[in-house]
Parts: sequence; structure tokens; C-alpha cells
Amino acid sequence: MKTFLKHIILLLCMALTACTDVIDVDVPETEPRLVVEASLDWEKGSLGNNQIVKLSTSIPYFSNQTNNSVTGASVKVTNTTNNSEFIFTDENDGTYSIANFVPIIGHTYTLEIAYNNQIYTAEETLIPVTDIANLYESTANGFDNEALEVNIDFNDPVNEENYYLFKFQEQGDLLPELLDISDEFTNGNTMTVFFEKGEDEDINQDEFMSGNVVDIKMYGVSKTYYNYIKLLIEQYDSVGDPFSSTPAALRGNCVNTTNVNNYALGYFRLTQVVKASYTFQ
Amino acid sequence: MKKLVILSMLFTIVLSAQEHYTVSGIITEASNGETAFGASVFLKGAAIGAVSNEYGFFSITAPKGTYTLVISYIGFADMSKDIVLDKDQKINFEIIESSTQLDEVIITAEESERVNIRNPQMSVSKIKVETIKKIPVVLGEVDLVKSIQLLPGVTSGAEGTGGFNVRGGAVDQNLVLLDEAIIYNTSHLLGFFSVFNTDAIKDVKLYKGGIPAKFGGRVSSVLDVRQKDGNSKAFKLTGGIGIISSRLAAEGPVFKDKGSFLIASRGSYAHLFLKAAGEDNSAYFYDVNLKTNYNFNTNNKLYLSGYFGRDAFNFGGNFKSGYGNASGNLRWNHIFNDRLFSNLSLIYSKYDYELEFDSFEFDWVSSIKNYNIKYDFSYYVSDAFKLNFGANGIYYHFDPGEINPTTETSAINPLQLDQKRAFESGLYISAEHKLTDKLTASYGLRYSAFSRLGGQVLSNYENNLPVRYNSTLGIYESGTELSETNYEKGKRIINFGNFEPRLALSYQLNKSSSVKAGYSRTAQYIHLLSNTTAVTPLDVWTPSGTFIKPQLSDQYAIGYFKSFKDKIYALEVETYYKTTDNRIDYIDGSDLIGQNTIETEILNGEARAYGLEFLVRKSKGDFTGWLAYTISKAEQRTLGGAAGGPGINNGNWYKSSHDRTHDVSLTGSYKLNNKWTFGSNLIFQTGRPVTYPDGQYEYEGLKIASFSDRNSNRLTAYHRLDISATLTPNKNANRKWKSEWVFGIYNVYNRKNAASISFGQNRETGANEATRTAVFGVVPSVTYNFKF
Repeated sequence: MKTFLKHIILLLCMALTACTDVIDVDVPETEPRLVVEASLDWEKGSLGNNQIVKLSTSIPYFSNQTNNSVTGASVKVTNTTNNSEFIFTDENDGTYSIANFVPIIGHTYTLEIAYNNQIYTAEETLIPVTDIANLYESTANGFDNEALEVNIDFNDPVNEENYYLFKFQEQGDLLPELLDISDEFTNGNTMTVFFEKGEDEDINQDEFMSGNVVDIKMYGVSKTYYNYIKLLIEQYDSVGDPFSSTPAALRGNCVNTTNVNNYALGYFRLTQVVKASYTFQ
Repeated sequence: MKKLVILSMLFTIVLSAQEHYTVSGIITEASNGETAFGASVFLKGAAIGAVSNEYGFFSITAPKGTYTLVISYIGFADMSKDIVLDKDQKINFEIIESSTQLDEVIITAEESERVNIRNPQMSVSKIKVETIKKIPVVLGEVDLVKSIQLLPGVTSGAEGTGGFNVRGGAVDQNLVLLDEAIIYNTSHLLGFFSVFNTDAIKDVKLYKGGIPAKFGGRVSSVLDVRQKDGNSKAFKLTGGIGIISSRLAAEGPVFKDKGSFLIASRGSYAHLFLKAAGEDNSAYFYDVNLKTNYNFNTNNKLYLSGYFGRDAFNFGGNFKSGYGNASGNLRWNHIFNDRLFSNLSLIYSKYDYELEFDSFEFDWVSSIKNYNIKYDFSYYVSDAFKLNFGANGIYYHFDPGEINPTTETSAINPLQLDQKRAFESGLYISAEHKLTDKLTASYGLRYSAFSRLGGQVLSNYENNLPVRYNSTLGIYESGTELSETNYEKGKRIINFGNFEPRLALSYQLNKSSSVKAGYSRTAQYIHLLSNTTAVTPLDVWTPSGTFIKPQLSDQYAIGYFKSFKDKIYALEVETYYKTTDNRIDYIDGSDLIGQNTIETEILNGEARAYGLEFLVRKSKGDFTGWLAYTISKAEQRTLGGAAGGPGINNGNWYKSSHDRTHDVSLTGSYKLNNKWTFGSNLIFQTGRPVTYPDGQYEYEGLKIASFSDRNSNRLTAYHRLDISATLTPNKNANRKWKSEWVFGIYNVYNRKNAASISFGQNRETGANEATRTAVFGVVPSVTYNFKF
């Protein structure tokens, strides 16, 4: 909801100003960093045994380089609550996989990556998620009263702080859309989030129409991950406009224990996830 | 101690002034009865003079004798009167405009717009509304705030954002006063226009430094805007029809000629202007200015003034938002005797905003309001010594946010963020003292005090640290809340007090030039919370308290002032150095919206700014205008302090977002004949400091930018040229209905100035790209103004 408050300012600014164009800008370049995308997401109802960790390096901002996968690293996850170890296998394409991972709600896990003679570690707790209570379309909700949106209702658990990440992707779209939300203002209530598209000629985007299919993922995330992903989303959506906050280095939870300053980007997260698809009528 | 010195000085002067008498009075304009602020009154040949105050009052004391008293006020004919000073006497003057044609374009700017060679007050700019009205503006909307941005040392944020920055200071460090009432937000439509309707305004004074001791509460500047009193001679209507808004003002005598009134209103029809852009949205604003006064007798006059303004937005029917200022001021001018003038003011002001989210079924309101009582005295001790003293007290009430569900089915729980209360008071005395024929000093002392009042709960943190450094992850995060303390209403939570010395010296080198130097210390007790580059109408003010310390600023300035060719040209050169302590900054990833414990998001830092300002002004003749150039630097540093860690940006100094290395503006007005007047602006500014990405990485299927040092890059330079032409039809001269057409072109060569450059992934191609937002391309406008 706070995001929407920020959006209102942005919307206003856009409404008053129409003139944008894509230009060439010289941006600074920095030394590459290790990027850890260790998202151990356990789909509700599955065993969650198959997990993947992706490793890559950062590249210059406007680069189209694709050979930045990291191979030859060793990746290990340890459940520190019951001391079980999970060794991931290097698939030599930047992914590291495992087929016998055991996810347990509330247990704490550590990640250890050895790469280039440096050790990176991270720690995270597996967070549960509530179920989707209702999935439906409407026009009255959302930013635009006339555009179709898909709504997700879910019952926020009382007596605890809950943090959610939503990932929406219309089938056929190149990129997903992320949404962070907490129960700060809605604790214990039925919460609703929506996914709506506005018409945008510049990127060839239309409003939702009958027959469109949207894939939805709802993750239960930790407070620290929520703080991280919220900032990531904010920086992804609105970097540079005068009503967004000053962008800053985004620090995840992967610490380089060999050389603290050479920290890794990305995050080691453990979540429970609910997946759904919705087809517009 | 200092007070004692001043008092003993006062004694000596009074004792030595036995054979002296005083002439005092009020100066008004003959045509409309408006009091004249800043008219010079002097005794010919005796080198004794004074300047009328904001209520038109003057007082001159001189040895017994016969004199010619001369009143001079630019745009008005000099007036003289022979007086025999053998007793104290009171004489009121009505001055007559030098041009009998009332349909404007006053060719000569005002006296005080010229260099005032002897007055030690420096770093001040006074602009008459007539001057502001001649400056070409976007969409024909005359804009006070944009006009002062043309002065040296004053810059703006990104085009289309609100507020102004003075000498490297932040927007919230400006004390903006409309008839003494604090205006918390100067913007309409986010900053495209300003809240001041120039039809209702008499004059504007901006103190960039050397702030007189009677002002307090902000560290950077004072923008003192005074409304017209209203025509006390005849009923008049003025108005205008523009592209964005229309205006209408009425003024005239009331109470059997014992008073006058003014009511001015303005409303936009920006419904049009957004709909035209093909959006299902609307935005508009309106404001009303009111003023009336009543003369009981020559020694007592009451003024009542008010302002109410509002902006309203509606997005696709699902979001509504409104915000605005409201203020009122009741003033009592009382002249105790011919040397002692006083003014008592009771002032109220409020700023609030509301948001309605229909889709989410809740609304959100927030406000700040204050009650202010202020009593100021001017004591004209002798021609060489004048004292100003007074006191004021402000009670603040902050309501940072109230959230309420608007339907039974709403998912939102009601929430009331802690309301905050505070009391700010000030006591000051200052002297204007002619030490020798060449050396004049103005010195004073203000004592300000601030109490954070109870009536709320405050959190207590582990190790007393609301923010702590997580050295493992290298980030700042909220401290651990251990308990809460409830402070009863009426109890004081914490008190602050500061002595604020102010000093200014002027040394006259010769008849046309002087050097001036000044030092001032200022304290600021309330802060605008904003972690965005530009301030927004939704930013919330917060008082100093247990965790947020008052900002303290020291400014040193020195300047050279010269006038040439019979005061036709003036040159002002000033340099300044300013430091500010306890300037808060926000930890990376801070979240201020709906934040009840702001202290968990901030670190205490410091700011410094220095610069050199040049101003060349031509204030007489068919061509008038000025060239302003400023070279400056504004930086901030925020260390970890008690929270540990290196601080923001690794504890290094970084550029403030309002840092502009070069800032040039050339503003001119040329009167071709009685029919046509032309105006133009040329502006050049170094680009705004911004943070560009230094890399990218893939995460969640998206290309994410990485960033390093804050504000280490800059946007491209900003420049543009504006022109305007004013047509005054000839038939005006002999009729009552007078009109003019103002044609303007903003940004003539259609420069695409980057208000911002945003970095993101093209959702269709997936490639990263930089997108420039240019707010205004070339914008033509036409406005019709009338007077009846």
C-alpha cells in the first residue's frame, strides 16, 4: 500500500508531463561482483526436494553480455536447526542443483559458497505462507476503473507480522512484475492485491482482455528479505525520477567472509510459495 | 551580557540627545492608500534619514532647527516639506506616482531594489510585484517562487517540483511567511505553480543570509511576502484570464473610509489541461486571499488577513487527493509615541493533505498547524540608533497521519500515528547603529527555546539506539525497541535553547560603494521528512525531540556593493560560507510513509555550502533587468555516530541534490513605447547531482541496476530562453477599463532539459535504457489582464 502512495505522486508527475525519450548516457562502471540468486522456494503441497541456486557476476549497466555465469563454485546449504547438510551440484551453466533438499518451516539454514578462493555465507529462516482465498477479475478495483485486473484475496494471520512477495507474469510476456506487501496496515484481515495493466504504446502493452492468462506466485518472506526486495522493486520501478528516493547500494544477506568489502549481490531466501493461474473471462 | 552592553549604549545616546526633536508619521500611496514600505525619508543637508517600515511608519530625530524633509520612493515623485523642528511632531505623507498613467510598467525599479550603500543589511533581495509580473513565465502564470529563483544564490529543484533552495540550503530550511503566517508548502500542482497570487501581493523580501534577529525558526532563508492592504480610496476590480487559471480581485474602502479591504481569488481549469493529455485524471487548484484593516485613530490600526488554498487531484476515479495551506493573522499596530512603534500579531496557519483510495477502501489525512503570538517593537532612539525588540511564541500540533477504513468491508485497520506537540519561543533585541559617518552596524541577539510537549508515547531502544549498524550485512537497520514511555499532556519531554547572535557591518568606501560583512547563527526546530530528491506535498513535518536535534547553522558573508551612473546600474558581489549541524539524512532504504518511529530511519549529519554571487542590475530607463551569476558548492556528510558504522556514503562528503556549480540568469524588460513592452529570461544551470547505476545483474528474471556513491553523477546542464510581449492598447489612456495582453513563449528553442533521467528495463525488448523526462518543451501562452 505504501507503494501505491508513492505511485500516486509518480502518476501525478506523469500526468502533468508527457515528454519522455530514450537517450544515450555514459554511466560509470565498477568491478564485477558475484551475484547469488539462491531462492529456495517450497511450493505448498509439494516435497520441495528440487532446488536451484544461480550464480553469475554483475556486468556494466548497458552491456548485453551473456557469458557471465559462474561455474566451478561449490554451494552448500546447512539446516542449522537439525544440522543436515545439502550439497548442490554444479551444472556448469551457472546453476547449482539438488534433488533431495528438505524444507522445514521455521528452520534456519545457512548458505556457503566457495568461489575464487573466497567464502560467501548467508543465513535465512524458512517462512510459511497462507493460502489464496479467492481469485477473481474485476474492473472496479485497481488504478483504472475501466481496466480489467485480477484480484487475489488471502487471509492474513493474526498476531504476527507477515510479509509477502507476489510475482505476476502474463503468459507471453518477457518480464514478470513483482509486488511487495506487508500486513502493517491490515493485520489479521482479508487482504487483496491486484494485478492490472495499463495501455502503453511505447512498449506495446495493452490492458487485459478475455483469454489472457496470468501466472501468480505468492511467497511468504522474512522481514529482512522484505526490506531487501521492497527496495529492489522501488529501485527497479522508479530510479531517477525526482519523487523517488535516492538510489543506494542494495545489500543482500550474502557476506564475503574472506574480504568483507567484496560482498555479493543477490539474496539467500527460503520461502513457501503458493502458485496459481488465472484466465480472464 | 550583550544585552547589558546594548542597554548602556542606549543610555549614553539618550542622554546626549537632549536638544533633539522627532518627526514621525505614516507614508501611503496617494492613489490607493497602500502603505509604502522602504521609502526613504531624509532631512536635506543634515545627512539624517530613515526608511519607512512595513507599515509605512517612519521616525526621524534631529537637533532643533529648520529643515526640508524629503521623501523619495522609486516610481513616485519626490515630495518635500519644510519643517521647523522645535517640538515633536507627527506628519503623514501621501506620495504620488511619477507616471500619471496607471496602466503600469513602472520603468524605474524601487529604491531598495538598488544598492543600498549604507544599510548594513546584506544578502537581501526585495522584489516588487510589478517586477515579478514582467518576467516571462511558463503558461503565463505569474509565479513569485520562480521569480526569486532568478536571483543569485537561489536555485530550484527539478523542473516542475516545488520549493526553492537558498545558498545550498534545503527546501525546508526556508521560512516562508505570508503576512507573517508560516506557509508550509509553497506549491500548487506539485510545484508547477506557486501558492502566491500576485494580484494580492504588495512586495516580497528574501533574506538569504544576515537574517535579522526578529526572524527565527529556519536556518537558510526568510521569504517575507506581504499582502496588499486594499485600496482605501476607491473601489477597484482587477483580473485576468489565462491558459491555466483565471483571477479576480476586488478592493476598496470600507468602514466609512476608516479602512479598506482586498479579496483576491484564483482558480485553475486544469481539468482541461490534463484531459487534453488524454488522461482520465484531473487536477486543479484554487486560492483566496483576504485582507482588511481598520484605523481607530492615528495611533491604532487593526489588520486582518487570511489565505486559503487547495489542490485537488483525481486519478481514474479510484484515487483522490487534496492538499493546501490555510492561514489567518490579526494584527494591531500601535504607536506608543513618535519614537516607539509596536505591532502585536495573532497568527494561525495550517497545512494538511488527504488521500482517498477507493479501491482499497480507506482514507489518509495528515496535518500540521500552529498558533503564533508575536509582539514586535521598534524604538527610534536617535538618528544614529534604532532598536528592535520583541518576543514570540508558537504552539505546534503535528498530526502525521490518520488512516481510516471507508467501508465496512475494508481490509485496512484504523491507525493513528502519534500526534506530536511542541512550543517554540523567541526573544530578541537588535540595534541599527551608525557608529561613524562611514561605519554602520546592525547587531542583535535572539534567544530561541523549544519544548517538545507530552501527550504521546515514545519508544525506548536498546542502548538508546533507534538505528544501529549491522556490520555483518553492512547496512543500517532499526534498533530494538525495549519499552515505551507515556508522556502526559502538559509535561515537557525535552527542552532546547539556543543563543543566535546576528551581526552585520557596513563600511562606506565613498558615495557610491561600500563593503559589508555579516555573521549569523540560526536555529531550526522543525524538520520536513523527505527522502526523495524533490519535496512532495505528502512529506510530513516533525519536531525536534529526544532523537532529532535542532539544526544549527552559522553563516559568514562578505560583500562589495557599488552603484554607477547616478544609480542607474548597481553591482553586488557577495561570498558566503555556511555550515549546518544536525542536518538529518535517511539511511539507505528508509521508509517514511506511515512511519511512527521516524528516529529508526535517520542519522544525524551535517551540511556545508559556500559560493560567490554576482549581480549587475539596471533599474532605470526603458531597459531594465539584471544579470545574476553564482558559483557554489553544497555538500552533506552523515557519519554513523552512535549507531556505528561508516555512515551514509561511507562517511564521505557528498553533493547535496541542490548543488549547482554554475547558475546564471539574465532577465530583462524593454519598454518600446506606451503600447509594447518586451521581456526575456535566459537561464543556465549546472545539472542536478544524481546517482547513476554502475552495473547490472539478473535477479528474479529482471535486470537490476547496482549503485554506489550517492549523487556522484550529474544530469546535463539546464538552459532555456523565455520571451514575452505585453500589449497595452492605446485606447486605455482615457478610459476606466484598462487592459493588457501578455503573450509569452517559454523555452523558445525547445531545449529538452532533463528534469530527470530514469534507468530501467524496456519491458518489450528487455534491454536496459535511460529515459529522459523533459517537463516543458516550447510552451506558448496568452493572458488577458484587466483593471477597472
